[in-house]
Amino acid sequence: MKDHSTTEDDSNLLVIVIDTNPFEWEHSSAPIKLNDALQHILTFMNAHLAGRHDNKLAVIASHVGVSQFLYPTLNDHILGSTQQTEKDANVYQNFKVVNDAVLSGIRGLLEDHRPTLEEKDLGSSKIAASLSLGLCYINQALKLDGMGHVKPRILVLTVSPDSSSDYIPIMNCIFSAQKANIPIDVCKIWGEDAVFLQQAAHITEGIYMRPSDPAGLLQVLMFSFLPDMFSRNYLYLPGQDQVDFRAACFCHKKIVDIGYVCSVCLSIFCSFSPVCSTCRTKFAFQPLLSQARRLGARTAASNPGSPKTSTPGTPVGTPTNLTSSATMAISTPSQ
Amino acid sequence: MATNGRRNVPEDDEDFIDVDDSSLQTNQANYAWEEEYKRSWDVLQEDEHGSLAGVVNSLQQAAKRKRLLRDTDPIQRGIIRHLFIVIDLSGAMQEKDLRPSRLSLTFTYLEAFIAEFFDQNPISQIGLIGTKDGLAEKLSDLSGNPTDHIRALKLKKFQELNGEPSLQNALELARSSLIHVPAHGSREILVIMGSLTTTDPGNIHDTIAQLVKDNIRASVIALAAEVQVLKFLTLQTKGTFGVAMNEGHYRDLLFEVIPPTAVTTTKAASNLVQMGFPSRSNESAATLCACHNRLTLGGYICPRCNSKLCDIPTECDICTLTLVSSPLLARSYHHLFPVENFVEVAWKDATSTTACFSCQKSFPNPHKISPQLQATTDAGRYQCKLCDKTFCADCDLFIHDVLHNCPGCLSRPRKQGGMTPSLTQAARLPSSKLGKTS
Repeated sequence: MKDHSTTEDDSNLLVIVIDTNPFEWEHSSAPIKLNDALQHILTFMNAHLAGRHDNKLAVIASHVGVSQFLYPTLNDHILGSTQQTEKDANVYQNFKVVNDAVLSGIRGLLEDHRPTLEEKDLGSSKIAASLSLGLCYINQALKLDGMGHVKPRILVLTVSPDSSSDYIPIMNCIFSAQKANIPIDVCKIWGEDAVFLQQAAHITEGIYMRPSDPAGLLQVLMFSFLPDMFSRNYLYLPGQDQVDFRAACFCHKKIVDIGYVCSVCLSIFCSFSPVCSTCRTKFAFQPLLSQARRLGARTAASNPGSPKTSTPGTPVGTPTNLTSSATMAISTPSQ
Repeated sequence: MATNGRRNVPEDDEDFIDVDDSSLQTNQANYAWEEEYKRSWDVLQEDEHGSLAGVVNSLQQAAKRKRLLRDTDPIQRGIIRHLFIVIDLSGAMQEKDLRPSRLSLTFTYLEAFIAEFFDQNPISQIGLIGTKDGLAEKLSDLSGNPTDHIRALKLKKFQELNGEPSLQNALELARSSLIHVPAHGSREILVIMGSLTTTDPGNIHDTIAQLVKDNIRASVIALAAEVQVLKFLTLQTKGTFGVAMNEGHYRDLLFEVIPPTAVTTTKAASNLVQMGFPSRSNESAATLCACHNRLTLGGYICPRCNSKLCDIPTECDICTLTLVSSPLLARSYHHLFPVENFVEVAWKDATSTTACFSCQKSFPNPHKISPQLQATTDAGRYQCKLCDKTFCADCDLFIHDVLHNCPGCLSRPRKQGGMTPSLTQAARLPSSKLGKTS
């Protein structure tokens, strides 16, 4: 298990994705208010920065309908030294910069992007977008580093339920993170388990946790999510029970052991059906399949001109006529 | 150097790629054996201000240009693939025109190729065939396990070069295995040929006709020169043909095979495929696995025949059920919903944005860059036409090559301007159910 690519001297880049979905945070049953939670999160960020002089931090807000960087922001790059004249004698300057940026960013988000109730129905916060932003940021940071000195990781602090339309983007993020060896840690502060993010943590070998008492968020963050990649080799961190990767069929949401998979769009069904309900491809009936294939081979052999006329490289079409082309593909041999 | 016209490479699935004619002239790359000595410092030339920025920029541009040509039309692709790689193990592979030698370079690239292939085509299968002394021999059988193939590549006995290759024997061997694969998967052969000759027991044109009949697509990478019979083979089977000019080009040719090819309308292949989703079991006492006959403590249990297998994705050795997991299926989704290509922003339109949307890197300020320099460089901004967000070259590449998500399109309110085509597609998939666990 020990990861030998890490050393004590690594600089740790932590990308924190904060879910700021107001519908969840303002929910009457929310066990912790956003304000309090932010105090915990800021303390955690400061602890990360205090860990090493070259530890780096990026904070991304995943709001309803929008996702954006809270720190570092564009303004920091341009105005940088000039703007931050205000100094607090009691606070380490680096902490203050981060804290101010995050707080003002979230304040701005809550004021500017007041999502309407309709948007609430449309889905929760933009976790997939935030993960994509985070991965791009890490990609750039690694490129600038060039020495393999920076060890990145992502921490997602979420309260929203999964949004089903995010499945493919989240999976894409998971696989690129896995490829680049970036663990995605997930802290589901309260509520139901976030299944997609659970898979994210499992596949990227990150930590998934749902604290038993969200009011003690800081404790969870400090003890489970603060250790860097090097110290994780020596710690016994909360693991997940085996995540079950069995698939559920698209038609009845039933968990299946043996399923039928559409060879075009890879949707899963629990029983054979003549038409794929996802991409509307028509399938050859099972008993007819071998016959159709033989027939197809014969027509192709007897009439060699016809299959060659269509170049294989030409795009078969846009998603709308994807179905029609599939129908064509099926109807050819029966003609 | 980067001022010559855009390389006119055909779409990845055009009848064939004629490297000699189309790209040699425009790309100004030489064959490796034409090169006397490398002068890499000549590539980097300072501009009039003594800075290297312009050159670096144009190099980026060159890389970018290559990628631009990728087609992003959502098309049906054969995601379940069966590919045989035929490796020439004849004496011709000892040539050192590709460094360190044709053979060792091939094996190095193939290792990377196999890893990348399975990363992008998780439910596909590869087999390796070697040909020497006029014979063809299977180095590894058709299987979805990359370690099997990489182990086979490392075996010493397969690295001994001798005699002449036999194209016909190799093709026949591949064909005999491929005709048994189910029709919903694609059947492909990739031939890596170092020799200019082949020793065949019969008429090769009969074999080629047979390949066409069996719907097998053969592509060829020649390491020496264009050979008529190889080109004819690819023309007939609608594969691609390329001659590797140098090490880098060889790698490019090889890796072009990785993205799944578009499904042809002539193939009545779409079908529901039965697949098993095994759960992992951990046992207290070791039992024999069905795949290697070794004692192991855990594995995946085939839901149909209850035999134990070491790893998925694979095909059950006992009952031939395809065993996968739901994230593996999800790994292929990006082929179905590719990200739109970004467009280059011209200098004159470059005033509105100051930093890359996704990585926060500042763009060069058009007001601070002289018009002379602007004429030779580009603004370093690439815009997604769907969400109008601008990205830097690095992020553009990362988004299209690795991530397959446009962060801009994802992070805008869904109500404005509608969803991206890929997202519309994704929304149509009742994906919340996919991969959901109990």
